[in-house]
Amino acid sequence: MSQSGTSPTDLGSCSSAAPARVSWQTSVLTSGRWLVIILGLGCVSLLVLIVSLRFGAETVGFSEIVRILLLAVQDERAGLESAGAVGVIMLQVRLPRIFLAFLVGGCLATVGAGLQALLRNPLADPYVLGISSGAAFGAAVAMLLGIGTSLFAVSALPLCAFLGGLLSILVVYRITISYGYLPVHTLLLAGVILNAIFSALIMFITSMMDPNRSFGMMTWLMGTLTAPDYPALGVLALYFLLGMLVLFSQARSLNLLTLGEEAARALGVEVETVKRTVFFSAALLVGAIVSVSGMIGFIGMVVPHAVRMVHGPDHRLLLPASALAGGSFLVAADTVARTILAPAEIPVGVVTALAGGPFFIYLLVARKGRLAV
Amino acid sequence: MAAKRRQQGILTGMPFMANLASRTFVDDMGRKVYVATPPARVVSLAPSVTEMLFAIGAGEQVVGVTQFCDYPSEAQTRPKVGYARPNLESIIALRPDLVVASREFIRADLLGKFEQLKVPVFILEARTIEEVLSHIQTLGRMLDRGVTANQVVADMRRRIDEIKVRLRAVPPLRSLYVINSQPLITVGPGSFIHQLIELAGGTNIAARATAPYPRLNMEAVIKEDPEVIVFPTGDAEGIPESERQLWQRWNMLSAVRQGRMHTVPSNLLNRPGPRIVQGLEQLARIIHPDVFRANGGS
Repeated sequence: MSQSGTSPTDLGSCSSAAPARVSWQTSVLTSGRWLVIILGLGCVSLLVLIVSLRFGAETVGFSEIVRILLLAVQDERAGLESAGAVGVIMLQVRLPRIFLAFLVGGCLATVGAGLQALLRNPLADPYVLGISSGAAFGAAVAMLLGIGTSLFAVSALPLCAFLGGLLSILVVYRITISYGYLPVHTLLLAGVILNAIFSALIMFITSMMDPNRSFGMMTWLMGTLTAPDYPALGVLALYFLLGMLVLFSQARSLNLLTLGEEAARALGVEVETVKRTVFFSAALLVGAIVSVSGMIGFIGMVVPHAVRMVHGPDHRLLLPASALAGGSFLVAADTVARTILAPAEIPVGVVTALAGGPFFIYLLVARKGRLAV
Repeated sequence: MAAKRRQQGILTGMPFMANLASRTFVDDMGRKVYVATPPARVVSLAPSVTEMLFAIGAGEQVVGVTQFCDYPSEAQTRPKVGYARPNLESIIALRPDLVVASREFIRADLLGKFEQLKVPVFILEARTIEEVLSHIQTLGRMLDRGVTANQVVADMRRRIDEIKVRLRAVPPLRSLYVINSQPLITVGPGSFIHQLIELAGGTNIAARATAPYPRLNMEAVIKEDPEVIVFPTGDAEGIPESERQLWQRWNMLSAVRQGRMHTVPSNLLNRPGPRIVQGLEQLARIIHPDVFRANGGS
């Protein structure tokens, strides 16, 4: 079965089969339109990245940014030394954090879009499968035990969180799978129950902890973007991009899956394979996201809806467009979060919900009737 | 006596104390608590309160504590009633004639229940060292241990003054107090730890932050370039290795370059009780080791 998905060249074949009388709103996805939208969103993302480089606890002028970036690209140590603290702030703190925000935001939105299609539920978000609570539980255990040593030169906290995520993937999968099938309703319920169980365990751990320490844990769980070092960022980028590419490759099958499993099967989709692929790639991505950044809410559910309302429900466009939109949204939100009360920060989830919520309400009101999964 | 009481009230920053009946006390929520006779069965709902009660010699009267009350060791022998979510039934079962709680961890519903059951609750909130001292004196008057309490406070004042004298001519060092590394949480003005840092000859680099316990931006840390980084830790466990590695990355910071990352026992600094003076002394030694080495420790 072919799952070539996102390559723009073969887009025409599918969309030409669409009914002839479609209104402009659900306009046919041609490769030209795909390219225009993706390039447009790409430019917006780039703009957001550049503008957000300027803001922080220390505001840096654009000419200074360009000079520091050029020095860094040419690897001129002496020049960077002369730039002093500003150079360090730009290259070691702000730039890696912006990259991380873009990756995390993009992943959250892509996974959200994928899961909304897989579960055929508009309320699905990356945290619905229970994987995130598993990861959070792993992190909470690590903090309770005060696991002091780093394992394999990796900081222990993300590692424990990721292991917790993996554990819960296996649990959800074992609960759900029956006779080789992965029924989505059971999947959804298994996720909900696992969320409840892990939340209870986390609350229990919190109540056992010295309040001074549980404060740190709750803050971490609320969602945290910190500046990773570049090797770690490289590994994360590779991991996230691979996961997203796997999801992109399922776009065509997800389109058909939204018609219902029977219909998709009749149209030649290997439904179980698709479901399993989407489940595992989404779950592995969520486990990693939560271990590096805690739980940042809102993006995973609302960004896919916003993109769908603006650009239509075709997953070949929806998935990459959500990635770009989610990434730049989180970068922008994080810029506000780290600037507005500088030198202090506020949790980025506060900004994503407060800024994104009203915008989403506006979309709901202005474009009634287009909230279709 | 009345004159002395008025004077005391004014000295402790609570002038209103002067005009009240002698057995009525006003707590930090502005509630009037009337205690007819010195209470004989006191339940403490905070480790700092437990330490204060034992310090003024009222340990005998303490009949219930939280599970975090580990100092003095005798406190651990008392029945535990919980902390952030204390168990109302086990408190009532102890038949207390006074409950002393800290404002952070007393819930409104619990307070209402106590009032309904006519159990007097005295609530303390310490934002400054001066408030800690006045809490000790207030508890002393309440429990008829005024003399001991005044001695404890006088001793604390003497030790604080000693630190002040020693550090009078010493230029302060830029300091960062790390409550939590990831995300970075520190202390701002409005917490008494901030005050302790400043007293110990440090300049808190988060002094511009607005919250008492702000999440601090790493960019701000690099810009302010702390010369000393202090990690409060539990019982002598030191800085966890992973945390140390996390900070080694920022080798452009003076504190990291010069190996000036230190630990202090968190219990000495986090608890607004009689041992904050010990915490202050340790902090001063950490920030200015040369000053205290040269003159020989006290």
